Amino acid sequence: MSGATISTYASLHDVELCAHAAAGERRAFGELVRRHGSAIRGLLRRMGAQGAEADDVAQDALLAAFERIAEFRGEGTFAGWVKRIAARQYLRRLQREKRLAELAVEGTDDEADATAGDADHRIDLDEALKVLSPAERLCVSMCYGAGLSHGEAAEALNLPLGTVKSHVKRGLEKLRARLAPAESATAEGRRSNG
Amino acid sequence: MAELDFERRLERLFMDAPELPDAAAFAQRIERKLDRGWNMRRWLIGAAGLTGGVIGASQLFMSNLFERVETAEQSARLVGQGLSRVSPSTDMVSALSGGYGVWVAVALALAAMAYFASRLIEEM
Repeated sequence: MSGATISTYASLHDVELCAHAAAGERRAFGELVRRHGSAIRGLLRRMGAQGAEADDVAQDALLAAFERIAEFRGEGTFAGWVKRIAARQYLRRLQREKRLAELAVEGTDDEADATAGDADHRIDLDEALKVLSPAERLCVSMCYGAGLSHGEAAEALNLPLGTVKSHVKRGLEKLRARLAPAESATAEGRRSNG
Repeated sequence: MAELDFERRLERLFMDAPELPDAAAFAQRIERKLDRGWNMRRWLIGAAGLTGGVIGASQLFMSNLFERVETAEQSARLVGQGLSRVSPSTDMVSALSGGYGVWVAVALALAAMAYFASRLIEEM
């Protein structure tokens, strides 16, 4: 493949790249991976997957996405579509390895740390997610990261809808507690600078 | 309202994923995997075509072909004679319905084999 073609791909919109990929152009799909691979791997890490495992699942999800690229109609974003595939694949992997049941039970290990807001430092989402129990982290990441509805998340996790809703609610409360001090600290900083 | 704002903010934070340092290497790995899968698929299709061609040609040769050709030629001659009485232009019909038809089938099978063999060579 010539450099000229690669630079042409770089200037194309995701939807156009998907059309090229659907015609079997693997370099077009490679450009999509270059653009969105990190976001997909990042989501899996946020769901609780370790580095190498997240990369494996992301790779499987992207290969599956290439196989099913004709199904992508451009109704949402390409990244969102692959994230949903990746999230489901990660859950299937957890189920296969019998780890999902452990994660889905109520976790209380990190509850004590949940309110320990660090107002002096900017706390990013990755840090904030660490205070959530594995189940809360999974549910919040699936609903707000992969864009699944509560119902879809419940179905994918094989949990009652009410359980998923309560995991999400508790997760959001912890995240708000964790992220709010940073928010107010930033606002404070802006005021003092102004 | 504050709840909704926080949820929007959370969605934005999830979307705002940092670029990982090995992003390019990861993309190359995926491309290599796709190339490998694609080549494998073409090899399998080529091999299936070649196998089918070999089986088809061998079936033609093994199924008393020459005996059938003789019988077919005799039948064709008879049909041709009959048809020539009906219509003067029956050469083509008798050629295809008789022994020539079998040879045409063999030639087509060989052409198919040659095509799949050329695809395989191209892949190599």
